Amino acid sequence: MLSKSAARAFFLVGTATCSAALIGLTVDSFARIPGQTHAEKITPAVARGKDLWDSSNCMGCHTLLGEGAYYAPELTRVYDRRGPAFIRAMLRDPEKMYPGQRKMKNFHFKESEIDDLVEFLEWIGKMDLNGFPPKPDLVPLAVPMTAGTAFVAKAGNRPQIFNQMCIACHSLGGQGGNVGPALDLVGDRHDAEYIGRWLYDPLAVKVDSKMPKLPLSKDQIQELVAFLSQLKSEAKP
Amino acid sequence: MRYQSQRVAYWFFATCMALLSLQIIYGFIMAFAHAGYDVLHNVIPFHAARATHTNLLIMWLLSGFMGAAYYIIPEEVEREIYWPKLAYAQLVALVVVGVTAIIGFHFNWWEGRKFLEIPRPLDYLVVLDVLLFVANIGMTVLRGRRKTTTALVLYFGLLSMALLYLPGMIPTSNQTIDSYLRWWVVHLWVEGVWELIMGGILSFLLIKLTGIDREVVEKWLYVIVGLTFLSGILGTGHHYYYIGTPKYWFWVGGIFGALEPLAFLGMAIYAVSMARRGGRDHPNRIAMLWTVGCSIMSFVGGGFLGFAHTLPQVNLYTHGTLVTAMHAHMAFWGAYAMLVLAIISYAMPQLTGRKLYDKPAALLAFWASNIGMVAMTLAFAVAGVTQVYLERKVGLDFLAVQKEIEIHFVGLILAASLFTLGIACFIYNFVLYGLPVGVVAIDGREVPLAVAPAE
Ligand code: HEC
Ligand code: HEC
Ligand code: HEM
Ligand code: HEM
Ligand SMILES: [Fe+2]
Repeated sequence: MLSKSAARAFFLVGTATCSAALIGLTVDSFARIPGQTHAEKITPAVARGKDLWDSSNCMGCHTLLGEGAYYAPELTRVYDRRGPAFIRAMLRDPEKMYPGQRKMKNFHFKESEIDDLVEFLEWIGKMDLNGFPPKPDLVPLAVPMTAGTAFVAKAGNRPQIFNQMCIACHSLGGQGGNVGPALDLVGDRHDAEYIGRWLYDPLAVKVDSKMPKLPLSKDQIQELVAFLSQLKSEAKP
Repeated sequence: MRYQSQRVAYWFFATCMALLSLQIIYGFIMAFAHAGYDVLHNVIPFHAARATHTNLLIMWLLSGFMGAAYYIIPEEVEREIYWPKLAYAQLVALVVVGVTAIIGFHFNWWEGRKFLEIPRPLDYLVVLDVLLFVANIGMTVLRGRRKTTTALVLYFGLLSMALLYLPGMIPTSNQTIDSYLRWWVVHLWVEGVWELIMGGILSFLLIKLTGIDREVVEKWLYVIVGLTFLSGILGTGHHYYYIGTPKYWFWVGGIFGALEPLAFLGMAIYAVSMARRGGRDHPNRIAMLWTVGCSIMSFVGGGFLGFAHTLPQVNLYTHGTLVTAMHAHMAFWGAYAMLVLAIISYAMPQLTGRKLYDKPAALLAFWASNIGMVAMTLAFAVAGVTQVYLERKVGLDFLAVQKEIEIHFVGLILAASLFTLGIACFIYNFVLYGLPVGVVAIDGREVPLAVAPAE
């Protein structure tokens, strides 16, 4: 039978070995992390952004690198997903970007602080995270099932700004948010001229519109109008 | 109770009861927000509620561990606490710092790192306070008449807990390094040194409640804490898969993380078999129930539900979802909350001289809280698995998925109500016990209560 002193030896040797191994691996990891996270891109603005991130406790609602709270969207890839213009608008007035939805706190940031946070999120977005977040692998199944119309826009032929900004509130082909109406076949409902005016300033077209005036350039509006106005039922093959 | 200074434990336990009640209130605030009723947003936004909920948890567990140590160590080493007054001062300081931190959270004063939200200046005070506590316990052990394994394991658990808080305070502007070091606190606490504390307290309870030979209990104690560290230290790697760290952590974290449940399984087998073998039929059955319950529920919450998402292939999908919240609730409840409630159940009759352990409220407290917690875990599980499927597999938008799972938070609220009923009964019983008496006068001499009737 095992004696007490043998049990103690097992404990002491095991603990010492494992602690040494953890410290060794940590030294090695610390040598590699700067490369994997592009630490050379941590500019003073990024560092200030991280301080703001911490001192505002954004992690109390969001996850970042998969750590934090489960109340608000994962923000690791938000820079690619929504683009800087959307994030800026969000930080200026969250309520306006997601009217009537789950609430984010308005921190009343200064413009320079918003810039720092955006740079911080851009830096985070470029890290090599060994495959996180995973690519949803059942999407090809889901789209035809929920689209309902024959026209399924492929991600490839959409303007990038559409996939970043509009999809936050609108769905197309069954993918996207549900703050505004689905934009499938929107070309049947509105012509190019109307969509152009709408995108320039929704509130000028409809005073009580829930869609905010978005920070879009002339070129982006033209591109979006061209894209949206051809989402018609005649587009059926 | 054999030493007068043990009485300070009562005040630590009373603090536990107060902070636990507050923690539950904040839990409800968050559950309602998830269910679509974020009515308090302007006063207590979600991130304030969350930081308060989790920090209150840590604080009351800390207070419980300290109370347990002040109760157990004198009896184990056979002497009074070295600086009894310091123990009271140190409790007051802990409460003051804690309350300041919690109020600060409501005014946007914090550090914003999950579980370590307490702002930096207060961090130093917490460390100082815990070090004073460790010194007090340390001197008591050092000057004690005997040094038992139980006392040493408990003491080193508490000491390492204080020291491991320090890596979490190293400043860095790299989010990955920040997170890497945060786990040295969070993971190495709950899956490392806190298990030492757990082992120490459980073996004290088992020795007292079953009358089994100390040598046998303590030998297995070494084996279990040995298993804990063998798996838990390198098991830290199960948090280093997807935060910008090298890929070899898939192997290290995967293998050692998968071994971690063994320590909890060992703890459960150990407690159950000691309880079975124990000859003496201790009248405080409710304390025994909490003790054995703790060992089993910690295996379910930590071991089983931890294993469910520790492999890198699974964690890729569950990382940072409500699945983690499911595991976190059951694990913290089973391992550490029940542990503190077990030592309180054991110590209260000894401290106050009233034997209320046969009261129906005591039994209801155990069953309602445990069944409630199992149901809460199920609600989180259904919400979490649905979230993983719809968001990470199908690719639906975050907010759209949250709409789908709102209903499970209504379920959570119902389950939490049952849980809260259990806790209310526990606190009711606690209040009935009244204040510690501790001493009686016999022949003009003050004699500790527990010793008096037997002599
Ligand atoms: C009280 C909780 C809360 C806090 C604190 C919070 N957010 Fe949010 N955030 C949300 C919610 C909820 C959403 C989802 C959109 C909505 O419903 O408003 C969101 C959305 C966002 C988005 C858009 C994400 C997307 O995918 O469209 C960004 C960017 C963002 N938050 C950044 C931040 C930053 C940066 C901070 C810290 C300065 C922060 N948030 C703090 C709750 C919060
Ligand atoms: C913050 C959320 C939000 C964002 C971002 C957003 N929209 Fe909207 N959108 C809405 C809402 C809400 C409506 C419905 C407005 C109403 O009728 O009051 C709407 C309506 C529309 C309509 C009219 C649809 C119809 O069927 O009548 C079009 C077209 C449109 N949006 C295009 C866009 C485009 C293009 C973008 C990207 C540049 C965009 N939206 C971004 C919320 C948003
Ligand atoms: C009783 C002991 C335990 C407690 C109290 C506990 C508690 C927690 C908590 C609070 C978290 C969330 C941490 C954060 O995101 O900051 C967490 C995460 C995690 N735990 Fe545990 N745990 C315990 C045991 C275990 C065990 C034994 C395992 C493995 C078998 C395990 C595996 C994990 C994993 C993989 C995560 C990461 C989840 C993610 O990626 O989001 N845990 N645990
Ligand atoms: C009435 C009871 C309770 C309710 C309604 C409740 C609810 C919640 C909610 C909604 C969250 C937030 C999840 C998120 O980030 O979105 C949470 C977090 C947490 N709660 Fe509770 N809770 C309760 C009791 C408890 C108890 C008794 C414990 C400990 C034993 C506990 C430990 C935790 C922990 C550790 C977290 C952080 C989880 C993580 O980050 O993974 N809670 N709770
Ligand atoms: Fe862990």
